[in-house]
Amino acid sequence: MPHTGQCLCGQVRLTVDGEPLGARSCWCRDCQRIASGSATVNVLFPEEAVHYEGEISTIRMTADSGNTVERGFCPQCGAQLYSKTIEPAGMPMRVRAGTLDDPELMAPSATIFVDSAPAWAVMDTTLPRYSRGLDSPLLEESA
Amino acid sequence: MTAPYSGSCNCGAVTVTISAEPVWVRQCWCGQCQKAAAGSATNNALFATDAMTVNGDVAWKGYTAASGNTVEQGFCPSCGTPIFGRNSSRPSSWVVRLGFLDGDHDLKPTTAIWLEEAPEWAMIDPALEQFTRQPPPPPQAP
Ligand SMILES: [Zn+2]
Ligand SMILES: [Zn+2]
Ligand SMILES: [Zn+2]
Ligand SMILES: [Zn+2]
Repeated sequence: MPHTGQCLCGQVRLTVDGEPLGARSCWCRDCQRIASGSATVNVLFPEEAVHYEGEISTIRMTADSGNTVERGFCPQCGAQLYSKTIEPAGMPMRVRAGTLDDPELMAPSATIFVDSAPAWAVMDTTLPRYSRGLDSPLLEESA
Repeated sequence: MTAPYSGSCNCGAVTVTISAEPVWVRQCWCGQCQKAAAGSATNNALFATDAMTVNGDVAWKGYTAASGNTVEQGFCPSCGTPIFGRNSSRPSSWVVRLGFLDGDHDLKPTTAIWLEEAPEWAMIDPALEQFTRQPPPPPQAP
């Protein structure tokens, strides 16, 4: 059965005919702006499995990773929909967990860009925490 | 750091300066906030509107909340960054999304609300004052 979702106002609808490849939380500075001060929580899907209906605004930016990403949001309500990497190609699409009808479809299994998280952020220390992207050094358990 | 605070969206089209301290800073796990905030809680600092200077266009979208109040989201129409939230029950103050504020401000949530809608995997600081739903209104001034 496909996974479904929508934006806050319902103008944009989402169908995914594939299973998630993973999920992670991102504390990069751009994501904190996108997520109202939290980390974004992103469920990864193969790009070809994700289908949107409705009007979507997009913006292309250079992410903290150095990659060129396209971020999609609803022009009516501002809800953040997805991020996808334009350059390099072939990376999974990151669907914002809050837009899925089941936001708990997949729990995050890693935390990235921990270096830029605010001092008050609480993180699951049982999950791998990366100082920046997935190719950056892992943080040691502090306890 | 104390006031003034400044903030900017991801594309830089909207900037805000604020010349006062917030009334409170809260984290909200309600379902609407999770939809607006990419799956996490919104983190919100309530400021008096007369202390804010807003540069650039802000788009607004309203809906009727469970309380019957009209709640509106203010965001950058160019990049979608969430900026403000306003509620018809408190017309003279708006919340500013914490991620929108620049740099090394010391603002942090002291209260977490709507925990009954938080996902199973949500990480909530046990030191925060916690409410299953909406906190009770503040005591009325005599
Ligand atoms: Zn919408
Ligand atoms: Zn990020
Ligand atoms: Zn913007
Ligand atoms: Zn909320």
